[in-house]
Amino acid sequence: MTDLQDEIAHEIADNTILVYGKGTKDAPRCGFTLETIQFFSAFGYPFEVVDVLENMPKRQALAELTDWPTLPKVFIKGQFYGDTDILEPMARSGELGTLLEGAFAGSGVTPTIQLR
Amino acid sequence: MIDEATIAGMLRATLPDAEVRVFDLTGTMDHLEVFVRASVFAGVSPLDRHRMVERALAPARADGRIHALQIRTATPEG
Repeated sequence: MTDLQDEIAHEIADNTILVYGKGTKDAPRCGFTLETIQFFSAFGYPFEVVDVLENMPKRQALAELTDWPTLPKVFIKGQFYGDTDILEPMARSGELGTLLEGAFAGSGVTPTIQLR
Repeated sequence: MIDEATIAGMLRATLPDAEVRVFDLTGTMDHLEVFVRASVFAGVSPLDRHRMVERALAPARADGRIHALQIRTATPEG
């Protein structure tokens, strides 16, 4: 495993909800990254955003890992979920709420906002 | 910039019966939402459906004709 792959593996393992995007949580630099931040802010669980805009080697490694060419890329509890194109229908069906409840169960974390 | 007919043509190369609708999000025809209905999506996960669409449109991504893309998919059954 390269250092880059190792770094990615740790980030995915360390963050229950992880977004690889363009820009930071406070200063997103892409409309879809902003949309993803707003999406998870509405859910109210903690999430991490890792800015890879300027890091082409890491973007390449992530694309190979996920077979997904674009940013943002979302991981929930170590599993890849694509982007909000995938997550929005899951949110509407209630599937994502259940998934997040399970992902944070026993962690002592509760959402700051209740949508349902 | 790209047009709906070109996108539909690229998609139908691998998704032969694809029904394609393109929505221009910014008025510049390079930030797009594409809706694709195809029978081959049956039994395919949302992630893999998106991969299939991205793969079919990869040339237009690579040369910048499509800058940003939102994808929605469906099967003929729904």
